[in-house]
Amino acid sequence: MNAEEIQAIFFAECEESLAAAEQGLAACKEGTQDADTVNAVFRGVHSIKGGAGAFGFIALQAYTHTFETLLSDVRDGTVPITDPLIDLMLRALDTLSDHVNAARGFGETPDDAVLQAEMTASMAANAHGGGGSESGAAAAPALAAEIEVQHGSDDDDEFGVDFDTMLDDITGSIAAPGGSNDSSDESGGATGKPWQLKVRPHAGAMQNGSEPLLMLREVLELGGTCLQCDVSQVPPLDTLEPCTGYLGWTFALPGDVTEDAARDIFDFVGDDCTLAIGEDAAMPAMRMPAPRAPAAKAAPSPSPATNATPAPAAPAPVAAVQAAVKAEPATPAPAQPEAEQARGGPPAPPAQSQSIRIELGKLDKLIDAVGELVIAQAMMAQRLTGDGLAVTEELTLLESLTRDIQESAMSIRAQPIGSVFSRVPRIMRELSASTGKHVRLEVSGESTELDKTVIERLGEPLTHLIRNAVDHGIEPPQERIDAGKSAEGTLTLSAEHKSGRILIRIGDDGKGIDRERVLAKAIEKGLVAPDAVMSKEEIDQLIFAPGFSTAASITNVSGRGVGMDVVRQNVKDLGGRITIESEQGKGTTFTLTLPLTLAISDGMVVNVGDQTLVVPLANVVESLRPTATEVQGLGAHRAMINVRGRFIPVLPLYQAVGAIGAVERADLGVLIVVETEGAGRAALLVDAICDQRQVVIKSLDTHYRAVEGVAGATILGDGRVALIVDVDGLVARSLSDHMLAEAA
Amino acid sequence: MTTATRILTVDDSPSMRALLNHALTSQGFDVSQAEDGIAALDWLALNEVDVVITDINMPRLDGFGLIEQLREGSRHRDRPILVLTTESSEEKKARARAAGATGWIVKPFDPAKLVAAVRRVSH
Repeated sequence: MNAEEIQAIFFAECEESLAAAEQGLAACKEGTQDADTVNAVFRGVHSIKGGAGAFGFIALQAYTHTFETLLSDVRDGTVPITDPLIDLMLRALDTLSDHVNAARGFGETPDDAVLQAEMTASMAANAHGGGGSESGAAAAPALAAEIEVQHGSDDDDEFGVDFDTMLDDITGSIAAPGGSNDSSDESGGATGKPWQLKVRPHAGAMQNGSEPLLMLREVLELGGTCLQCDVSQVPPLDTLEPCTGYLGWTFALPGDVTEDAARDIFDFVGDDCTLAIGEDAAMPAMRMPAPRAPAAKAAPSPSPATNATPAPAAPAPVAAVQAAVKAEPATPAPAQPEAEQARGGPPAPPAQSQSIRIELGKLDKLIDAVGELVIAQAMMAQRLTGDGLAVTEELTLLESLTRDIQESAMSIRAQPIGSVFSRVPRIMRELSASTGKHVRLEVSGESTELDKTVIERLGEPLTHLIRNAVDHGIEPPQERIDAGKSAEGTLTLSAEHKSGRILIRIGDDGKGIDRERVLAKAIEKGLVAPDAVMSKEEIDQLIFAPGFSTAASITNVSGRGVGMDVVRQNVKDLGGRITIESEQGKGTTFTLTLPLTLAISDGMVVNVGDQTLVVPLANVVESLRPTATEVQGLGAHRAMINVRGRFIPVLPLYQAVGAIGAVERADLGVLIVVETEGAGRAALLVDAICDQRQVVIKSLDTHYRAVEGVAGATILGDGRVALIVDVDGLVARSLSDHMLAEAA
Repeated sequence: MTTATRILTVDDSPSMRALLNHALTSQGFDVSQAEDGIAALDWLALNEVDVVITDINMPRLDGFGLIEQLREGSRHRDRPILVLTTESSEEKKARARAAGATGWIVKPFDPAKLVAAVRRVSH
C-alpha cells in the first residue's frame, strides 16, 4: 500500500467523519445534547485532525485544532450548548468540509480567519482558566503563526522539536519535573566533552509493561559505558520486593552524545525513572513502590542544572536538585466525562458497523462475474429443460443459490441514500443565508438502499432540485404570511422502495408552478406555438425544456436556467424518470423514479414475430388473453381493451419494433398490461410469453448507440441477444404518434 | 531476534491503521489491527502479542478502558502498551499512566520514532 492509497483512505474517512459530525450537530440542534452526541461530533473532527497532521495538511490541521478545542470545551461542559453556538459549529463544519476538499485538491483553501475568531471568542467567553490555555490557538490570521501558537499551547515543544517534521512528544519531561514549560532548548546540544549519567529506575518503571533493562541497553548503544551499579540499597533477600528499583546505575557517555538523546530514552517512563547528570550529582534516591505519596517537590527550576551539565571537572552545583524525588502525584486527575465513560460505565455510542474497504474495480468485477453466472445458469436450465430434465432437484437448488449470490453481490454495491441526504442540510443553510427564506427540512427514508453508482450520480440533480425548490418554490416569509401560511417553509425529502424501483420525492409547500407564466414564457421563447392547447402536465414538463427559466430575476442560486433540462438528463442517464405534481398555492413535488441497480433486472421474455424481446417486470401489471369482444377498435389503427371497466390503449409491439410475421389481432395473442410513469397504463400486444427470468442488462449505448424505445440488451439462455424494451419511452412515443396520426 | 515482534495496533481511524501498518510492517514487525477497545480485547483473548499500540478516543471502548482491562487481567498485565494519540494534555498523560500505559506517543507520529519506541519496550 503506497502513500496515495493511504491518503485515499483518509479522505474517505473524512467524508464519514464529516457526515457523523453533521449528524451529531443536527441532533444537537433538535435538542439531543447528551454526552454521546457531542462526543460523536468531537470524534469526527478529532479524527480528521489526526489524519491531517499525519498527512501534512497544515491548514486543515490548524483549523481542526481550533474546532476540536472548542468541541472539547463543549464536551467538558465549559462552553454551554446554545443555539448560536450550534449554528457556529454548523458553519464551522461547512468550512471544515471546504478545508477537506482543498486538501484533496478540489478548490481553494477557505478563509477561516473569521470563523476561527468566532470560535476562539466563544471559548474565551466561557473560559475559566483551564480552558483558556488551549484556546490559545487564537484567530491568528497567518496559518504559520497559528501553528506556532497552538503548538506552544500543547506543551509539546519542550525539546524544541520542529513541528513540520512531525511532533515527537514522548511524555514527561524529566528536565522539567513539574511539567513546567520553560525553554531549556539550548541544554540539548552536544558539548563535546564526556559526561556522566546516573539512572535510578523506580518501582513504577517495572510496572506498566516497561523494562528498564532495555533502556539501559539503549544507553550502551548510544556509546555509554556502565561505570558503576549502586547496590547499596539492596535489602536482605527475605525482605526483597522483586518489583522495587533497588539499583542505580552510573554511565559515562561520550561528548558527542547530547543530553537530549539520553533523556529521550527515559522520556517514556516519565517520573518512574529519575536521572541525574554530572559526575558530582548524587545518585537519585530510591523510591518505594507503594504508597505513591507525593514527596517534597523539587523547588528550584531545574533548568540551571541542565545548563551546568558538562565538564566533569567543574562541579554542577545544582545537580542534586534533580536528584530530589519528584513530587508529581501519579494519581489520576479528577475524572472528566471521558474518564467516566472509559471505566466501562455507560455504554459508548452505538457500535459502528464493522466494515472493510474494497476497491470498486474488484467489486465491479464480481458483479460482472455474477451477471455471467446468472446467464450461464439460465443457459444450463434451458439446455436441461430441452432434454426433459426440467424437474432436476439440483437445478432448482442452483437457481436459488444463483439468486442468493446475485442478491448478495448487488447488496454489496448498495448504499443507504442517507449519504446523499446528509449533504442537504448544508445546502439548505447556504440557501437560507442567501435567499433570506426560512426553510425547515423534513427527511425520511434515509436508510433506503440503492446502487452506489446511482447514489454517486444523484447528488447533482438532487442539489439542483432543492435549490430550485427553495429559490422558486418557497415564498419569502412575508409573502407566506400574507398567503396564510407559516413564515417558515417546509422542504420534504423522502426515499422509498416501490415495486423494484426507488422513489425520491422533493416537495415544497411553496407557491406551486405558475402555469400561466410558464406557458407565456415558453411561447415567448418559441418553445411552443402561441395557440397551443396544453394540459397541466404538459405545461409542467416545459420547465425541463433546454434554456427555460422563469425566475423574474436571475439569482445566483438557481443559476441561469441551464439546470432543469440537465437534471432531467441526469435522471434519464440513470435509467430513471422525473415527474412533477404541482398545485398553485400549495406547493410542488418532484418525484424521481430510479432503478435499484443498473446491472440486473427481472424481465418477461416475449416473442413478437421473428423477434424475442424482454419487458422489464417492474413495468408489468398483468398479462391476459383477451376475447375478440373485449377489444374495441378506435379508428383505423387504434384499439382499446376494457380491463375490469377501465379502458386501456392496446399497443402492438410488432409495429413499434418492426417485427415480421407477428400476431396482429389482439384476441389471438397475449396482452401485457404495463404501467408507465408518464403515460398511464397500456397493453402491449405480443405473440406469446416464453419466460420470466433475470436478465443482465448490457448497455446498448456503449456497444452501439442509444436507440429510442430500447433500454438495453441482454443475452438469453440459448445465447441469443434480446432487446430490452424501454416501456415508458415506447408507450409515450407510440401514444403521441397515434395522436399525431389522428390529428393529421 | 529470530521471530518478528508482534504488535497489535488499536485505532478507529482506517487511515491511521493504514499508516501504522505501513510504518511497522516495513520495519519487519508482525502487525495486527483492531478498530476499537472491544475488538482489541476480543483479539487479545485469542492471540499473543508483544506490544500493544492504542489510540485513546475510540467508540465502544476507549484506550484508557482498554489499558485498564488489560492490566486487570493476568495475561497481559505486563504487556508493554503504548498510547498513540493526538491528545497531549498533562491530565490525559497522567490518566494514561495511571491506567497502566507504558509510554505515550503523540500523533502525528514520526515512523522512525515510533519504531524506536516499540523497540524500547520490546525485544
